Amino acid sequence: MFEWSEEQLMIKEAVAKFVESEIQPKRDELEHGDLPPYDVIRTLARTFGIDALGRESFKRRIEREKKKEDVAGESEGDPFLGSPKEGGDGGAAAMTLIPIIELSKVCPGIVTAMGVSVGLAAGTIMSKGTIAQKERWGLDLLTFDKIGAWAITEPNSGSDALGGMNSTAKRDGDEYILNGNKTFITNGPYADTIVFYAKLDDGSGTNPRNRKVLTFILDKGMEGLVQSKPFRKMGLHSSPTGELFLSDVRVGKDRLLGETEDETGGTGRDSAKDNFVTERAGVAAMSLGVIEECLRLSVEYAKSRLLWEKPIGDFQLIQLKLAKMEVARLNVQNLVFRHIEMQKAGRRLTLAEASAMKLYSAQAASEVAMEAVQLFGGNGYMSEYRVEQLARDAKVFQIYAGTDEIQVTHIARDLLKE
Amino acid sequence: MNVVVCVKQIPDPATPGEMDSQTNTLKRDGKLIMDDSDSYGVEMGLQLAEQAGGGEVTLVSMAQDGETSGLRTALAMGAAKAILVSDPALKGSDALSTAKALSKAISRANPDLILMATESTDGYTGTTPVQVAELLGLPSVTFAKKITVDGSSIKVERQTEAGYDEVTCPLPAVVTVTAGVVEPRYPNFKGIMDAKKKPVEELTVSDLGLDVSEVGSSGSRQEVFEIVAADARQAGEKVVDEGEAHQKVIEFFEQLKLI
Ligand SMILES: Cc1cc2nc3c(=O)[nH]c(=O)nc-3n(C[C@H](O)[C@H](O)[C@H](O)COP(=O)(O)OP(=O)(O)OC[C@H]3O[C@@H](n4cnc5c(N)ncnc54)[C@H](O)[C@@H]3O)c2cc1C
Repeated sequence: MFEWSEEQLMIKEAVAKFVESEIQPKRDELEHGDLPPYDVIRTLARTFGIDALGRESFKRRIEREKKKEDVAGESEGDPFLGSPKEGGDGGAAAMTLIPIIELSKVCPGIVTAMGVSVGLAAGTIMSKGTIAQKERWGLDLLTFDKIGAWAITEPNSGSDALGGMNSTAKRDGDEYILNGNKTFITNGPYADTIVFYAKLDDGSGTNPRNRKVLTFILDKGMEGLVQSKPFRKMGLHSSPTGELFLSDVRVGKDRLLGETEDETGGTGRDSAKDNFVTERAGVAAMSLGVIEECLRLSVEYAKSRLLWEKPIGDFQLIQLKLAKMEVARLNVQNLVFRHIEMQKAGRRLTLAEASAMKLYSAQAASEVAMEAVQLFGGNGYMSEYRVEQLARDAKVFQIYAGTDEIQVTHIARDLLKE
Repeated sequence: MNVVVCVKQIPDPATPGEMDSQTNTLKRDGKLIMDDSDSYGVEMGLQLAEQAGGGEVTLVSMAQDGETSGLRTALAMGAAKAILVSDPALKGSDALSTAKALSKAISRANPDLILMATESTDGYTGTTPVQVAELLGLPSVTFAKKITVDGSSIKVERQTEAGYDEVTCPLPAVVTVTAGVVEPRYPNFKGIMDAKKKPVEELTVSDLGLDVSEVGSSGSRQEVFEIVAADARQAGEKVVDEGEAHQKVIEFFEQLKLI
């Protein structure tokens, strides 16, 4: 594909209209007024029937699973719309990515809060949970009746999350006792459902780095679980980020993802890695939204801002900025289109490809947004002109879902493997 | 309750329109969108069909080159099907020629109620709806802000400068819906995906049983002789307050007969 289909453009326009009339007017409150994004997210889900689609695809999937049909990988890249073949001519991937692009033009934080809840928290439960767990926790997340968090990062292990994890799960009869701290957790302060990763401490002498990672599903308000207030941060204000503290949280096996410690079941290492591709494609789409919006605003400004009696667009140094933004837009759009095409063909990006896409897109978005601030001069530094927010928001694309440096290591590992 | 909503597909008003120097009319080639003022009729029609607990909304549109992109928007909102009248012979149609084609198409759908906008955003004649009603031999009510169905008749709150009139009218009828009186729904994703699969019946002038001499430029009684650009808006008057400004403001209001 080299352009959006007519149907995809309709989705794009509908979401853009929603953003314009429902989100733009609340931007200040979301940015500076500590307004949690969840009401907006629920309105969005209801308006476009995302909740109903989630419910339907959930039902179909559970029915098939009960009949023991093979549904492995069907929700790949798209936890709420079902298989890649559903969802019109662009496949489900396009249906997921188009709203991400449009929302990111104004509010990347909403995308983060939404994506973590439905993509990571629900996605993990839907791919590794038992049918009972999917029914108990998955459905409410897919419909946004509940909000989810996905907690892997700790104060002492971010990039090294799986190896350096200090959170522990100790067996106690049929139950587990969970302890540990998580940090930088999106939706952490408000989440109803938390997917929590911890190392199995079976009392053996195994080096903690090599111990099994288990995944548990927790509910807000459980004894021993504390959810912090949101952090103050550089940007992405509309996505609440916080800490989780667990002291002796007691859980039954029903909360162990997949209800097994087995490698093929719900083990944490697999479930965490499965999310890489989904997450990285999502960041590429967010980057595209930021780039498209910064370019649009910059072109407008270059035409209308007059200096020395001419528009600044006449100056070659400004033209260079616009040209570089256009190059970035084309490249990132091509990466997003390629991902959609591959999903449609039932193929999956390799880890190296997904990482390369995320690395390039995140850097491009950050650079384009910073250059937009520069092009706007003093106005660029003022929040009224919006590009400063996008620049602050875009910076996080290079940090979460694996830092730039980690993407490099993943690409290199793949290139250099024997 | 089967409702026909007439939907005009027009050039996007956000992009500057171009006039055809031959015919002195708006150029309508290229992608068309649903006229925003028709979205209220579509919403009203959908609501009435939903409230009646049965029936559906059928769209009727006349556009060149089999254009359906504006119709897809209304189909995605929930309309069940569409009838599109498209024929090179319709080129140059005035309001009455248009009304002839529309009324023939409407009668094929056999509706209980026909909704139209009070006027289109590209033509602004505001005459087509009543012409359609006359050609169909149906009563018409204009400027509706609320419609309540009551058996085989409707109660309409008809907007006036002072407030509204309550009008009761037997069905079937043609009603024009004032812009802004309902909140048009967003098409949801499923609606958008389904829109492409919904039937759009494309008809020519002869399919409608009309003769080409009755429609298009040959059937039109209206001719546009000349078009001139509107005067550029004048800059406002600036009043510098040296203690007397309030007087100037009062005079200005008096001039506008506001006080
Ligand atoms: C807004 C926000 C939301 C987040 N949401 C979530 C969430 O919902 N759930 C969750 O689990 N986590 C979340 N995170 C955490 C995020 O995934 C981590 O911040 C990220 O993985 C980096 O980890 P770190 O912060 O510990 O940095 P560190 O790992 O300490 O990295 C410090 C620096 O060292 C570099 N570095 C690390 N390893 C290498 C190496 N091998 N070679 C070269 N350089 C290296 C890094 O790239 C970085 O520049 C979120 C973070 C932010 C900022």
